Formats: sequence, C-alpha cells, structure tokens
Amino acid sequence: MTSQEKDIETLIPDLRDLPVGRLAELGSSALAQSIALYRERLRENGIPLSSFQARI
Amino acid sequence: MTLTERGRVTAIANHQLPEAAFSELAEGDGGPATMRRLGEAQLSKHLMLLQAIAEAATGPGPGPVAFQVGYERLARIQAAVPAAADWLLGLPHLGGWIHDTLIRLDQGSAADFGHFASLVAATAIRAGLPVDLDVPVRGGRVRLPGLGSLLVTRSVADAESAWIRLRCDGQVVTVGGLAIAAGRLVPDDGTQDPVPGWRGTPAVRSVGGGLAWTVLLETGDPYLDRYTLPMRTTMPSEELADWRQRIRAAWQVVADRHRWAAEPLAEVISVIVPLTPQSDTDLVSATTPAAYGAFAASWPPDPVTLAETLVHEFQHVKLCGLLDLVPLIRSGDQRVYAPWRQDPRPARGLLQGVYAHLGIVRFWQAQQYAETDPDGLLRAQVLFARWRPAIEQAVATLRQTGSLTPAGARFAERLQAQGQRLASVSVPPEAARIAAEVALDHRLTWELRHVAVEEADAAGLAAAYRRGDAGPGQARTWVSQDVRKVDASLRSRLLNLRYLDPARYRELRGGSGILPLGGPDRLLLERRSEDAVRAYRTVIAGSADPQPDAWIGLALALHQLPPSPLQHPLATRLALMFEVHARLASSSDPLDLVSWFT
Repeated sequence: MTSQEKDIETLIPDLRDLPVGRLAELGSSALAQSIALYRERLRENGIPLSSFQARI
Repeated sequence: MTLTERGRVTAIANHQLPEAAFSELAEGDGGPATMRRLGEAQLSKHLMLLQAIAEAATGPGPGPVAFQVGYERLARIQAAVPAAADWLLGLPHLGGWIHDTLIRLDQGSAADFGHFASLVAATAIRAGLPVDLDVPVRGGRVRLPGLGSLLVTRSVADAESAWIRLRCDGQVVTVGGLAIAAGRLVPDDGTQDPVPGWRGTPAVRSVGGGLAWTVLLETGDPYLDRYTLPMRTTMPSEELADWRQRIRAAWQVVADRHRWAAEPLAEVISVIVPLTPQSDTDLVSATTPAAYGAFAASWPPDPVTLAETLVHEFQHVKLCGLLDLVPLIRSGDQRVYAPWRQDPRPARGLLQGVYAHLGIVRFWQAQQYAETDPDGLLRAQVLFARWRPAIEQAVATLRQTGSLTPAGARFAERLQAQGQRLASVSVPPEAARIAAEVALDHRLTWELRHVAVEEADAAGLAAAYRRGDAGPGQARTWVSQDVRKVDASLRSRLLNLRYLDPARYRELRGGSGILPLGGPDRLLLERRSEDAVRAYRTVIAGSADPQPDAWIGLALALHQLPPSPLQHPLATRLALMFEVHARLASSSDPLDLVSWFT
C-alpha cells in the first residue's frame, strides 16, 4: 500500500459510538483540541452571523 | 472510533476518509457511500460543537437552563431512538444555530442558548417521543425547526421575550391553548388539510427518473437567513405553487440527464432557502459552511437554470463537507482572478468556485445532448465552452497562490485532470467564438477594475514610448479592489444575452437592427469589427479622460479580426497599456502604443 492509498486522518473526532450522555459526562476537555481548531478555522473563514443575529 | 477502558473514555479517534473517497470527491463525484461518510462526519462535528456550547451554557438564566434541559432530553431521545437524534444532528437548521452561537461566544456577546430547546422539541415530536420543556416564543410562534411553527395564544405572543411550556406525551402536543396530534405537526407538502395553529414548513416532493427527492423550502428559520440576500420570509400560496412546480421540473432534468449528481444530491440536500431577488433577471444562489445540506437561491427563471443551480450548489455543499475534514487551503490575504466573479477572490473562494464549475461543465456537457430547441442548444454549447477552459485556468491560479496544502495539491491535480478529460468534447465554431469572447470581456473588465500599476513604472514606460525607445520593459502590478471604474455593464450583458436568452437578444435587435448601445459598442455587437476598431480608437484618442470601457471594446474588436500581433498585448497587459496611455498626450493613437508593446 502506498502512502496515497492510506486512509486520511481527518480533523473531526469520530463521536458516532459515544452517546450524548457520555459526551456530557466527558466534558469538552477530550475534544478541546479539535474544538479549538474548528473555532480557529471559523474565525479565519469569517463565516458571518445570520441576518437575525447580526441585527441584535 | 472511541477507545474505552473499563467504561472510561481514554481516547477519541478522528474520522478516517479513504483515499478513494477523497479522489472521488476531487473528481467532482461522490457516490452514496462517500456522501454517508460526509454526513456522519457532520453529525460528529455538530456533537462536538454542542459540547463546546454546553460548556458555555451555564448559569441560572432561562436560556442556559433551556439549553441544559434540552441537552439532557436529547440524550434520552438518542437512547430511545438513535435515528431521531441523528435527524437533529444532521439538520442544517442546527448547524446555522450552532455557528451563530459560537460566533456570539467568540464575540463575548449574548448567545441564544434557548433556541436549542426548540430544536430538541422538534426532534421529539417528529419521533413521537415524550418531551416536556420550556421553549422560546418569537413573533407569536413557537418554532419547531425542520417541521414548522405553532401559533401560540395572544397573551403569550405579546410578551417581548416569552417562554412557554411544551409537552408531548408521544401522541399529543400541548402548548398554550393548543393540543394537536404530534403526527400532524409535519412539513407542508401541499397534500395535507390545514391544521389550526400550525404552519408547516413548505416541503416539495419530486420524482424524476424513478428517483425521489424531498426538500424543505425554508422561509421561517432565522438561523438559515444567512446568505448574501435576505431570506424570503413570506411566500403567498401562488408563489409557493410556482416554486414547487419549478423545483419538480428542475429535478426531472437532473434525475433524467445528470444521474451522477442526482442520487447523492437527493441524499444530502434537504433545505432550499428562497432568497428575495435583487432583480427580475439574475438568479443568485449561495451555500454556507454553517449549514451543511442547505443552499439558497432566488427565483430561477427556468427549470434548466435551476437544475444547473442544484448541481452547482451541491458541489459547494460537498466541498464544505470535505473542508471540515481535510484542510485543502492555507489561510492568506492574497486575492486573485476568478473567471466567474466580478471581484478579486481569496484562494479559498477560488477553490470553491472551480469545484462548483467542474459540476457546471459536466452539467452543460450532458445538456448539449438533451436540448432540442436551437436556443437551448446554443446556451448549453456556449456555457460548456465558456467554463471548461476556466477549470484549468483557475487551478493554475490556485497553484500560483502557494496556498494549497499537500492534500489540496492532490485535490487540485485530480480536479484539473477531470476538467482536461472534458477537453475532447467539441462545440460548433460559433459557440466557441461567443464563449471565447465573453471570457475575454470578463477577464479584461476585471483586470481594468482590479489590477493596479506602479505609478513610477507607468510614467517610465510613457517616457520611453515618447522617446521612441525600443519595446517596453517590465512594470510592477498587483491586485487591488476597484482601482478603476469601468462602466461597460450594458455591453457585457448584451454579449452574454446572445446565448443566455437568444430570443430576447433578437427582440432587442428588432426589425431595425438597433441595439440599445452607442456607436462603437453597437458595431462590436454587430461584428462590424474593423469599423468598431476605428470607432474605439477615435474615442480613446479623442478623449481627454481615460476610457477604460473603450479599451476593453478595442481589445474585443481586434480579437474579432484574424490573428494579429496586436491581440496578445491587449489580452495580457491591458491595465499597463491603459495606464501608460493615460500619461501620453490625449490624441495619442492607442493602436500605435499597442504596437509598441508587441
């Protein structure tokens, strides 16, 4: 298998097997790095607020 | 995958994307399995971001409390019916609200935590599960995102920022003075009897080529009012009927003739946000990374145009899903030319555009074989010929920005190869000629608007020209938004009208053959090319003021003539020649200057 045939490690934690209740127990600490990275990209990309929120 | 040790979470692995799925997406495709992967990643993303919000939604206020209750109820819903929770986690409405909330938190301003209770209430009601929680009342209504809204009693509705208890026992929903069967609180697909107190979100079910697609027409969710034009928040029944008819007709086109896009599109796109149009003629459409599965569009002029828009926006949605997973572009301030935009674009925007246009090229390639009416055929041929070369041009520009990550470089390579594969499809010479002309007009108009020239270099070249020095040297140029005003929009619109709406173009030419244009532009449109060159030359040489639109016209007219050495400098260094000429005596012959640049 060449390097290009390997699966790509993505930026999003796979939470499919983790129930919402467990996630709440866990808190955001286990996800902190992924959340911080996402929020940084959100700021970089400059996604605007909805018109509704922007008016408030 | 989550790794656990004696019930304790020790590590959370990230989603994996097979290289084959990445390649499929890079080539503009993506079958159902790949779409499922993108969708599953969105569920994880929303869960992750909900947890970030949960950390912030603390304290005793009604909003944080409503969020906390909603989060706890969602856990129960998920335990009872996992698919019901998945519906919410995949809902574009949730994405819109999550992103607004995160932005608000980043700004340090008040977030609308309480709206989450409405999202959870909708989830429970849809699944027929018990729920009991306070939900916000806005504009006299309780919103149930993805389903519709309940009109609550006047006394509650009058309150500035009211809350109301919503209960569902799995069968009946009670809120304020209303008690309605949960099964009747569904989107309005036009087949149900009205339910007093309930306004279902308009839904459109379409079937084409044996493939069904159901999509919501969202006019009520404020968190999806986040596009370049305002959401159409009221839609009279006649207008709704028109939208339904147009969407069904467009779906017929996509399902019958563009199967590669139809099946995954039906799986991913669940919401269209109708936009308030800017003008009667121009369709505006948009996608946001905040709401995977949704796109927005103003009223489409015909079914084929809407079909193209479905393919176009679906490409954006897919790429937004991929960009959440794999960074393809590094952030940067550089702005560059995009063949489909009037303004300079960042590399990220150019990547989005070129990916959308790969879908558009494939659409018009297939549409050429489907159109039977000559006008429709001309449109398909010109649009194919207009956008296919733009793929390679834009990928080359992307590479030049140096913004592509290693994964982005592989993505661009496959995207470009897919564009090149379509190069073997030929179109008739007339269609190719029109496509090349409108592409040149667009690029030159953009260049004169947004390419700045170093003042000292332009002055130096003007002095060299006056002295009669041999050939010009180099000059420093850079992209800067709106450095010059160019007023050639009517000419450009008419150049495009020739294939976008040939009947209207013929009508404008009318019996007298007179177009609503002045001298040189009319000669250009009538392809009296030599006369047009002379006329533009006279305008430029005879005016004390710079004439950017005439310079573009001169370039276009010269390109209508047989190949000559004058064409290349006009096509590649127009902004520079314009600035040099502006520094010469007003009667200077522009063609003499162009000759100097050859």
